[in-house]
Amino acid sequence: MEHIFDVFNIGLLQNTLRTATPVILAAMGGLMTEQAGIMNIGMDGMILIGAFVAVAFSFACASASIGVLIAVLCGILIGLFFALFVVKLKSDEFIIGMALNTFAGGLTVFLLRSIFGVKGTFSNSGIVALPKVHLDFLDSIPVIGPLLNDNSIFVYITWILVFLAWLFLYRTPCGFWLRAAGEHPESLETAGINPDKMKLMASVLCGIFCGFAGAHLSLGYLTMFTEGMSNSRGFIAFACVIFGMANPPKVFLAALLFGFLDALGLRLQSVGVPSDLTSTVPYIATVLMLVYVVVSTDRKKKKKTKQQLVEASERA
Amino acid sequence: MHKITQSIKQNKTYLISLIISITAALIIGGILMDVTGFNPFESYGAMLRGAFGSARVFGNTLTKMITLCLTGLAMTVCAKAGLFNVGGEGQLFLGGLAATMTGVYLQGASPLIAVPLAFLSAIVAGGLYAWIPAVLKVKLKVSEVITTIMLNSVAIYVCTYLVNSSGPLATHDKGVLGGSDAVPEAFRFAQLIPKSNLSTAIFYSAVIAFLCWYIMQKTSIGLEMKVTGENERFAFFAGLPKDKLMIWSMVASGAICGLVGMFEVYGYQIRFQDSISNEFYYDGMLVAMIMNYNPVGIIIMSFFFAVIDIGASAMEFSTGVSGEISEIIFAVIIFLMAAEKGISKAITKKNLQRKVKKTMGKEVQ
Repeated sequence: MEHIFDVFNIGLLQNTLRTATPVILAAMGGLMTEQAGIMNIGMDGMILIGAFVAVAFSFACASASIGVLIAVLCGILIGLFFALFVVKLKSDEFIIGMALNTFAGGLTVFLLRSIFGVKGTFSNSGIVALPKVHLDFLDSIPVIGPLLNDNSIFVYITWILVFLAWLFLYRTPCGFWLRAAGEHPESLETAGINPDKMKLMASVLCGIFCGFAGAHLSLGYLTMFTEGMSNSRGFIAFACVIFGMANPPKVFLAALLFGFLDALGLRLQSVGVPSDLTSTVPYIATVLMLVYVVVSTDRKKKKKTKQQLVEASERA
Repeated sequence: MHKITQSIKQNKTYLISLIISITAALIIGGILMDVTGFNPFESYGAMLRGAFGSARVFGNTLTKMITLCLTGLAMTVCAKAGLFNVGGEGQLFLGGLAATMTGVYLQGASPLIAVPLAFLSAIVAGGLYAWIPAVLKVKLKVSEVITTIMLNSVAIYVCTYLVNSSGPLATHDKGVLGGSDAVPEAFRFAQLIPKSNLSTAIFYSAVIAFLCWYIMQKTSIGLEMKVTGENERFAFFAGLPKDKLMIWSMVASGAICGLVGMFEVYGYQIRFQDSISNEFYYDGMLVAMIMNYNPVGIIIMSFFFAVIDIGASAMEFSTGVSGEISEIIFAVIIFLMAAEKGISKAITKKNLQRKVKKTMGKEVQ
């Protein structure tokens, strides 16, 4: 019984916020491309490059903000690169996404080795971490105080970005066009707006979000870069986009749930479950959640068509 | 011979763009080396020596080629039927572990019994692990791309747990860091070139590759698979058992991956370790994609990839250039091929438009 408190405590919630943040950020990018009708499985590579660039420039310029800035700029470039193939040249999204992941994996290790002369992991006291936020008045509140204090500033920025993403998609004309580019490109064209331009914008936005995600991954808590440190987070983010049906608040919740499960895995280690087994928790959960969501939406759809049929027959 | 020249003629533009893409990718790799302070000519020389320099290293290159070719074919088998198996890595791990443990438990038995059983266990383990996402896709419409990627991580973590330090399948041999017990010597594949990784696995692989090619190109099942992959609806209305075809092609893909895992262990690694594969499947996938899922093309291309891959690690050892340059070169080839396809499509479209305009203009006159 005492074990339960070793697993379920305030640390679990703190870890949830930490592990969920990069996934939330990447998922916000992924939902942009998803809304624009692009299957983007190259997010893992985008995150990886962002993480590397953030560490490299934070170290070189001794400034975390420059690291983040360059990571985001790189994200824009990758987004343009991705769009060049997928939108302009109409290449297979699956192939380009996979190639982007391989390319990112190869490039980051190659540069790690060539620039810093290390293999595997680069960590140095010269890398500046993202600032942590501490609000004094929160100290006096139990549970919420320790939960919300001393997080990396990105945790809060992420929440704002989720809101902005929703605002953009559902409350601005541009966001409306973006969604139309995925759902009904022909009608968008009839309205005089080029759907390809919207797709380009979506993939650039995705690059920006993934750049943020990478920067948070490597500068948020651990100030280091490790080979393949994105660790399939891009794919998990992609899964979150599908759970949340590409709707920012829903995707946010899905990513939080993933973060909770990931953190639960970490906590289980403290009770003596081997770390290799606990690491499987988020991946298994992703598969199960995906199955559940797909099946339940399918059932809803069937119900709807059945109802429509019944109504139609009644009318007849 | 006539057939070969014919097929070359048919795919002339494709071959030309492939050669240009490869050359350009190698040049880009050279520029990257130059920028990071290495001599590209020296490095590429070291790469070639690393792949062809002696009988031993050439054996390693051929072994790598087997792996790439089989994983590429595994991708092709399911891609033809319209499914993307991205989970070959996990299937490879499980197949390798199953075959290894079969060998370990049957110690002392006749190889005539043990080796076929090991084959069977690798096929079953890999196939079953691919069956899960296949059924989820076909029956419930859950995207197989995500589920296979997720199942990859699960398989790799579980295998790592099983064979490492305190895991239930870890070896008790002294002086061995991690890994399962060794496969008994009598069961291992015979070495073809001393001290190299090349074993009789190459013959088994040739049989598998031939079977894949034969089934896909020469049988009605292969045609039905292709029809299903190209147009699922058409397959449905043509009365093809499309669900069955899709599931079985995925299972076959997983079974091949499982066998790759077995060949790694029985061929040269001796025991199952968590380092059994370093994302081999992803490289095989790239080969299959570059060659447009053409089985013969995959065999040829996997040799080229093997030369670069094995050569790159030798190059890293002798010149200090990171061996990961091979991954960059592979990815750049794909990007260039994709770009070429898009550009040539755009050009033909423009030409067509021009032609239409011309003829229309004449008619008006």
